[in-house]
Amino acid sequence: MRSSTSSSDPAHPGPRWGLAWLVALLVAAALVGAVERYWRAQGYRPNIRDSAQLWSIERDRADRAGAKIPLVLLGASRIEFGIDMKLLAQLLPRYRPLMLAQNAHYPLAALRDLAMDEAFHGVVLCDLEANALVPAYRDMQQPLIDYHRHEWAPSWRVHRTLLTLWQKHAVVADPDLGVVASAQRLLAGTAPPRPEYFRFHADRSGDIDYSHTDVAAAKRHFAEVLQQSEQLHGDATPEAWRTGLPEVYEWTRRIQARGGSVIFYQSPTGETLRRIDALRYPPAEYWDRFVADSPAPVIDGGAEPALTQFQLPDDSHLDYRDKPGYTRALVDVLVARGVVQR
Amino acid sequence: MQFDSFTFVVFFAAVLAAYNALRGWNARKWLLLGASYLFYAAWNPPFLLLLLGSTTLDWWIAQRIDTAPSQRARKRWLTATLIVNLGVLALFKYNRWLLANLSAVLALGGVHYVPAPPDIVLPIGISFYTFHSLSYCIDIYRQKFSPTRNWRDYALYVAFFPQLVAGPITRFPQMRPQIETPRSTTRAGLGTGLALLVLGLFEKCVLADGVFAPVADAFFGAATPPAGAAAWAGVLAFSGQIYCDFAGYSTCALGAALALGFELPVNFRAPYAAIGFSDFWRRWHISLSSWLRDYLYVPLGGNRRGRARTYANLLLTMLIGGLWHGAAWTFVLWGGLHGAYLAIERALREHVWGEREAAAPLRFLYGLVTLFFVVLAWVWFRAPGFAAGAAATRSLFASGTAALDVSQQLALLLFAALVGAHWLMRERDLRALPARVPAPLLGAALGLLLAAIVLAPGDTHAFIYFQF
Repeated sequence: MRSSTSSSDPAHPGPRWGLAWLVALLVAAALVGAVERYWRAQGYRPNIRDSAQLWSIERDRADRAGAKIPLVLLGASRIEFGIDMKLLAQLLPRYRPLMLAQNAHYPLAALRDLAMDEAFHGVVLCDLEANALVPAYRDMQQPLIDYHRHEWAPSWRVHRTLLTLWQKHAVVADPDLGVVASAQRLLAGTAPPRPEYFRFHADRSGDIDYSHTDVAAAKRHFAEVLQQSEQLHGDATPEAWRTGLPEVYEWTRRIQARGGSVIFYQSPTGETLRRIDALRYPPAEYWDRFVADSPAPVIDGGAEPALTQFQLPDDSHLDYRDKPGYTRALVDVLVARGVVQR
Repeated sequence: MQFDSFTFVVFFAAVLAAYNALRGWNARKWLLLGASYLFYAAWNPPFLLLLLGSTTLDWWIAQRIDTAPSQRARKRWLTATLIVNLGVLALFKYNRWLLANLSAVLALGGVHYVPAPPDIVLPIGISFYTFHSLSYCIDIYRQKFSPTRNWRDYALYVAFFPQLVAGPITRFPQMRPQIETPRSTTRAGLGTGLALLVLGLFEKCVLADGVFAPVADAFFGAATPPAGAAAWAGVLAFSGQIYCDFAGYSTCALGAALALGFELPVNFRAPYAAIGFSDFWRRWHISLSSWLRDYLYVPLGGNRRGRARTYANLLLTMLIGGLWHGAAWTFVLWGGLHGAYLAIERALREHVWGEREAAAPLRFLYGLVTLFFVVLAWVWFRAPGFAAGAAATRSLFASGTAALDVSQQLALLLFAALVGAHWLMRERDLRALPARVPAPLLGAALGLLLAAIVLAPGDTHAFIYFQF
């Protein structure tokens, strides 16, 4: 067989490849640089994109042996955007904090995953509310777990580590600002998306900057929901809702039996949201029933003055400037309750 | 690891540097073999043992075939390797499908048997390296060449990382002289190889994942597929996606190999400009279609045993080719459709058209007819089941009023451009193209492709053919 790559290379004598590649690199660098400058001039900043791969990196750390005890934070957006992870590690030096919460997804599948994992012996701080315990919402985070079990591989770890580095520094790493999305906007004659008001860190915790959002609109939305309160119902009857509790307790006991522990925690919410939740899930029929039989401590952040002192601009989440104060207050509450040690 | 990952960029740069830093050819081959195993293990390290075991067994059996004292003994060894290789394939790839079918058959007889689905993960690329090994052993049996005594050379033939997990499916005579003759990276090989890598990544990242996949996924993922133009947008988008995904991988494979001084066979040659279905299979996944021809169609009797048998052989070969792609009846149906296309075309050639060369407009028209039926068959390749495939097919011929959104418009525009490019490149070799273009112009074109790849971030999708 002929070889196209012998030194004389008759099959592909080709152009002057050195010049061609020099031009290629210059053109590519100039184009990417120009696009990067353009988006930065429009107010966009680099942002890490959360993904199943980023979650998997943290999930691996939950099983890693070491002197420090894994402290896994489960939940949805409130805990993901509410905790200062670096500060938490400083305040609790005996622990290795890990963020496994997922924005807009309730955490029971992740709790089940940790419970079934014999290698996990750490502490779980599981942020949930009555809605999170609706059986139909149990598997919301399951795709992350499936990815971690079936597709996560060493090569993806290297890829995601380098991708995180790229996303930390390049605005053009945002798919919404990419060439395909831009071409589609050009065809449709639509404007680019507004710069994001939230940012993720490599440890998957996030910051929300409410100075860049229409807080009043969010509040108006909740007020409108409240006005329709007579039509509000929970997504499960009390009986249906309670059918899922024994399994949650069973997962908790599995972790406890291995020397780990679980802390159920309900993040504080604003007055309007609290009233809506109370209408949808009357505590006496829902949350109080969960607390009564729970084999693990349940902490209601809404009943802790140290935690409710922080303003929640949209009634649900903290502004990133309040994260350090809130993290300190939460640690104080956890230590005072004896569920973690400094 | 995938070509479209940062991991591969680091891996390939390190392999390329180390490969050229080493002086001895044996040392370079050990390096390539080690790198290939690292490439494979990066997905699922335990499956490296399966690859090593399969490689060593076939290397050993091939020598037993070669030195066997009688034809009977040779046949016994060949049967052994067929049983082992196809058995491993059945165990890992077809176990669920076989069990499901067994349950269905037993249910027909009134026996209720529903076994728990086995929790077996499919080793990536198993269909590809199994076909490498099988072709090697069968060719030794046919005494086409003598087996290599060198385990490393054989292992490198099977595991050479550019083609390990998704082809092209090379034959040993194609690779043997390249493995046994010292070679290194040359300026032209590196220049062309990197250019092919960039082109392949452009096809994969920008076209397949960025433009076509979202439209195809939306159509095939819909509970009720939209009708009319939106249906055509979905199906044509998948036609673009499957080509750009798989041809993109093959182009990357050719490029990576070329940069290291190896030449792999071309796997795609402008298939959407095929004039007829036999022409399509000479242009689409060429290494698989030629494998099926040489190791299945010809041994079945090919066209040597009368017309009826020829048609049956064509159909059977394509049915098995469909099943090779995946453990589902929809893949079998896809293969069966292509088998029927080939049989009908053959019958028309024999009874209606004759051997006359048609005029250019007629050839172009037949090219469009070919594309139409190829696209129709893709529905079954992508559909998650028979009901979904039937619904998707019906929706193509139902009237729909929904206007196309911009993502569908862009997908249609680029699919048309892709088909146009195939007609332009129909008789040309992509690798020879750079020689005709001035270096600055070529550099500018490569720079545009490179910038588009960097500016097309998104979720990293596995190459579709990895699952096969």
